[in-house]
Amino acid sequence: MSTILEQKCPCCGGAVEFDSGVQKLKCPYCDTEFDITAMPEDTSNQVEQINWNSQGAQWGAGETDGMSVYACNSCGGEIVADATTGATECPYCGNQVVMKGQFSGTLRPDLVIPFKLDKKAAKEALKKHISTKKFVPKSFLEDNRLEEIKGVYVPHWLFTCDAVGNASYKAKKVKKWSDANYDYTDTSYFDIYRSGNISFDNIPVDGSTKMPDDLMESVEPFDLSQAVDFNTAYLAGYLADKYDVTAEQSMPRANERIRQSIIDSFKDTVQGYDDVENQGANMNVANGIYKYALYPVWLLNTKWNGENFTFAMNGQTGKFVGNIPTDKKAVTKASLLLGAGIGAVIYGLMWLIELL
Amino acid sequence: MTKKIFAIIIALAIGFTFVVSASAYTYVHVADNANKLSGEEFEELENIAVKLENAYGICVMLCIADETTGMGDENYAEWIYTDNTDNENGILLLHNDGENTYAVFTTGNADEIFDDEAIAEMRDAYDSNDSYYGGVYDFYELAEEYLEEAYYANDDSDEDTVLTTGDKEEKDGVAFIWLPVSLGIGLLVGFLIINSIASKNKSVHMQKNATVYTRPGSMIITGSADNFLYSNVEKKEKPKQENKN
Repeated sequence: MSTILEQKCPCCGGAVEFDSGVQKLKCPYCDTEFDITAMPEDTSNQVEQINWNSQGAQWGAGETDGMSVYACNSCGGEIVADATTGATECPYCGNQVVMKGQFSGTLRPDLVIPFKLDKKAAKEALKKHISTKKFVPKSFLEDNRLEEIKGVYVPHWLFTCDAVGNASYKAKKVKKWSDANYDYTDTSYFDIYRSGNISFDNIPVDGSTKMPDDLMESVEPFDLSQAVDFNTAYLAGYLADKYDVTAEQSMPRANERIRQSIIDSFKDTVQGYDDVENQGANMNVANGIYKYALYPVWLLNTKWNGENFTFAMNGQTGKFVGNIPTDKKAVTKASLLLGAGIGAVIYGLMWLIELL
Repeated sequence: MTKKIFAIIIALAIGFTFVVSASAYTYVHVADNANKLSGEEFEELENIAVKLENAYGICVMLCIADETTGMGDENYAEWIYTDNTDNENGILLLHNDGENTYAVFTTGNADEIFDDEAIAEMRDAYDSNDSYYGGVYDFYELAEEYLEEAYYANDDSDEDTVLTTGDKEEKDGVAFIWLPVSLGIGLLVGFLIINSIASKNKSVHMQKNATVYTRPGSMIITGSADNFLYSNVEKKEKPKQENKN
């Protein structure tokens, strides 16, 4: 079987051909010529090799005794709590949960980051979070009711790897000058290529379908240097979510973040240009391993106008996130008010400039 | 409360517009105390005089009087000028129609621009025309020539004179049409600023990359190429300054 290798023109995207006359590659569409050595390798068809290996462990005999699984009949979330803590409400939707049975199965977490901040700190953070925001509906400030606040250990898959990658960019430099009669703009275009290695440690991916991924990524980062080997004793007083997204299902998200990191990190080495635009990237992952860890998160549910609002606080660092409703009428009024003021100032300045 | 503030800002904007509009020159340049000009003629000549003052910063006045109320021509000329304007750079030609005499009052830069020869020429231009309207018109036409000549003579001068610092172009103020345009721009900018502030109410978002998890010092660039492709030079003609003439 034979294959045809097609090189694309970095300028117009057309297929370039070898011009034997000039001994260069030439684009028949835009007539741009390239040295063969200058053309980056066509990596668009390269197969990315990404292999991940697990370090996961199994539960020891008797280790899960006293831990029960509770299920929410409303959203289907399953949480784990020890016998002393118990659970009555779903931390995700606030509805009643029922005990489903004795906890069993699934992998045993490798690591756990213990809670550093308590419920009081979470309540204070919520107050501060809301009070610092603008254009919050008055009724939300007055009437929103803290329905539920729970400390939850959220399952995360942590991916560690050595990534080998390459990325190509299109860059341009703009030079401007003038003479007595004309303004000149010289725009030079460049094709940039970078390849290299980057290692990543413990990129977390949320392992729970019930926990919104964007909420979890918003409370990042966690300091894994403070993580300890998992022990069920850390779960006392808190809820723990069982992972229902496997490591295999989480890998695409980890790969996506690694790929983007390669693009962004390599782009930082492209300097001296006025504009740099990524054209594509490839990567291979070596020495990839993943671990299973529980991260501490305070979940706070408030209700306003019949709608649930979920806030999350990093139980280790205190980073607090959560979307707050916006008073659209107040935004419109403020926009009109500020706009009229700015308009008046602009018009006034026009008069002053005209008169001076 | 916001409604009140909004109303105040709008009122200030509109008020400012009228105040600034009203700040243009409103005094009389053609003092027809002898009623020799028709209303239309007066208006046209007055407009010419206003434009000259706006363009060159020099007040050029002409007064036709039946009598000088015993003040004498020169005193009367000075009185008419100072009574009409605060411009410290200007000239007034008085024609005492009753006695057919002339007097001239000059102040500030007008002293240099309108020398005796220029004044004599301007007076002759006024006097030699059969009609009062034509005479005043010729007077202003000649005055403009002297003003223009002085303007260009002082164009490269470092001297801080009215002519070099004044705006030669007409200053009719900013057209009213720019008010809605300014408000439109203001509203757009206001909308962007306020929405930028309001967008901070949303703090939940996916992370873009994993650079925070990069092992320190682990990035090694093994291959690097910066290849020049081509360049493109654009040439744009500079807008030329229009000459008044």
